[in-house]
Amino acid sequence: MTEDRLFDIYALMERRGREDSKGSALCAVAEEFLALDGAAIVLASGNSELLSLCTSNHTAGALLDLELTLGEGPAVDASRGDAVGDINLLHATPSNWATYRPEALALGARAVFGFPIRLGAIRFGALSLFRSSPGPLNEEQNSDAYLMASVIGRAILAAQAGSSDEDLVGELSGSSLLDIRVHQAAGMLSVQASMSVKDALVLLRAHAFGLECQLSELANLVVSRATRFDRDSQTWIDGVIDDGDEQ
Amino acid sequence: MDRESLLVATLVELADNLVDDYDLIDVLTLLSLRCVDAVDVDAAGVMLASPTGELQFVAASSESMTVLELFQIQANEGPCVDCFRSGHAITNYALSEADGRWPLFTPRALALSFKAVHSLPMRLRGRTIGALNLFRTHQGQLTDDDVVVAQGLADVATIAILQHRTVKDASALNDQLSNALNSRIVIEQAKGMIRQTTNCDMDEAFNRLRAHARNHNEGLTDLAAHIVDMSMSCKDLDEWAIAKKA
Repeated sequence: MTEDRLFDIYALMERRGREDSKGSALCAVAEEFLALDGAAIVLASGNSELLSLCTSNHTAGALLDLELTLGEGPAVDASRGDAVGDINLLHATPSNWATYRPEALALGARAVFGFPIRLGAIRFGALSLFRSSPGPLNEEQNSDAYLMASVIGRAILAAQAGSSDEDLVGELSGSSLLDIRVHQAAGMLSVQASMSVKDALVLLRAHAFGLECQLSELANLVVSRATRFDRDSQTWIDGVIDDGDEQ
Repeated sequence: MDRESLLVATLVELADNLVDDYDLIDVLTLLSLRCVDAVDVDAAGVMLASPTGELQFVAASSESMTVLELFQIQANEGPCVDCFRSGHAITNYALSEADGRWPLFTPRALALSFKAVHSLPMRLRGRTIGALNLFRTHQGQLTDDDVVVAQGLADVATIAILQHRTVKDASALNDQLSNALNSRIVIEQAKGMIRQTTNCDMDEAFNRLRAHARNHNEGLTDLAAHIVDMSMSCKDLDEWAIAKKA
C-alpha cells in the first residue's frame, strides 16, 4: 500500500518538477496528492525561526505569511513536533490562535492542518495544509499526509547533500532512513566531526553519494568503526573493523 | 517465584509504569524484558506500524545489534509482517534452513541460535497496529497458557500506546504511532553519540541511557533528545555499573 502511494508521489514529483519552478514543486505535489486546497512548507532554522520554503498558491502563501507574522497557526505548532488535525476555523476553541483564526477565515480557509517534518531529534519544519470547506481529513488523507511529510524530509536532506534533480526521485524511493544504523551512524559522526546530528546526516549522505554506495552500507561501516570522519583533516579515514557489539 | 506470582508481579509493575507522563519506549522495553521471564522465551520485542503501514522496530529485551537486526529485517519479511498483515497470531513456528518462507529472516535467526518464533498481533478496534515478537533458543512448545499470557502482554503493549495520550480516533492514533517511531530514532541518534563519546557498544549505550533516565526520573526519549541537542553531555550519564545496582 505504501509503495503504491509513494509511487504516486514520485510520479507527481516528476511531472510537477517539469511544470513548476524548482521551489514550489513539493508544495504543488502535496496539494494535489492530498486533494486539498493548498499547501505550504516551512523550514525551521537553527534558532527555531521559521522560513517559508514554498507555497502551492496565492491563498496558501497569504495564510503562511499571516502565520509567520503572528507566530501562531498549524505550521508553528507542527514544527514543534505535534501534528495538528481537525482544526475547524469556524468553531472557536478557546485560547487557540485567537488572532490567526479570524484572519485565516477572511482569507477563505475553513480547516487547517499541520504535520511535523522531523527525523528523530532533528526538526526540519512542517507541512501546513488548508481546505476551503470545514471538516477533518479522512483516514487515508491523514496517513498520506504523514507519508508526504516524510518524503519532504528526505527531499530536504537530499538537496542539502547536493543530489542532482535526476537523482532525487531514485534516491527518495530508498527506505534507508528506516534503518536504525543510519541514525546511530549519524550520532557517531556528529561527535567525530563536532557537528549537529542533522549536519552529520547530510555529511553521511553526501559521502555515500561520493562512494556510490547505499546510505545503509556506509552507516554500517561507521557503526563498526571501519571508517570515520577525522575532524582535523576533514577527511574520511578507514580503520579496523570492530563489530560494534562486543557481547 | 511460581508462574502465577511472577505474572501478578509483572502486571503490577507494568501498571505501575503506566501512570503519569510515562515514556512509551521505556515501558515497551520493560514489557519486552518481562515477557522473556513470564513466557520463558529468550528474546522479545515490539514492532509498530507507521501511519503509512510499514512495520518498524520500537523496543526489545536486548539492544544488541544482532538482535535489533532481526527486527530490522522484519520491516520487509518475517513472522511480525505475516502476523501484522493477517491479524492472526503465529505460535510455535519452528525455524529451519529448508523452509523458504522467510529467506532473509530465517538464516539470521538461526545464526543467533533461535529455534522457534512466535508473533502476537497488537489489535485495536479492528486495526492491527503492530506485533509482539518472541524468540526461543531451545526446542519445546509454548503451551496454550503461555500463548494466553503472551497475547495478554501484547494487549498491555497496545494499552500502553492508547493510554499515552487519549487516543480517540484514527488521526490521534496515527500521531501516537508516528511519535513512538520517531522516539526510537531519537534514541538511536543518542546511542550513536554515546558510543562514540564513551567508546562503548550499542547495547551498553542504550542501557546507560535507560538507567540514567530511570535514576533521575526523566523520560528516556526526553533524555535522548537532550543528548542529541547537546544540552546534556554523554559524559554526564551515570556509569552503567552504578546504574545497574540502582
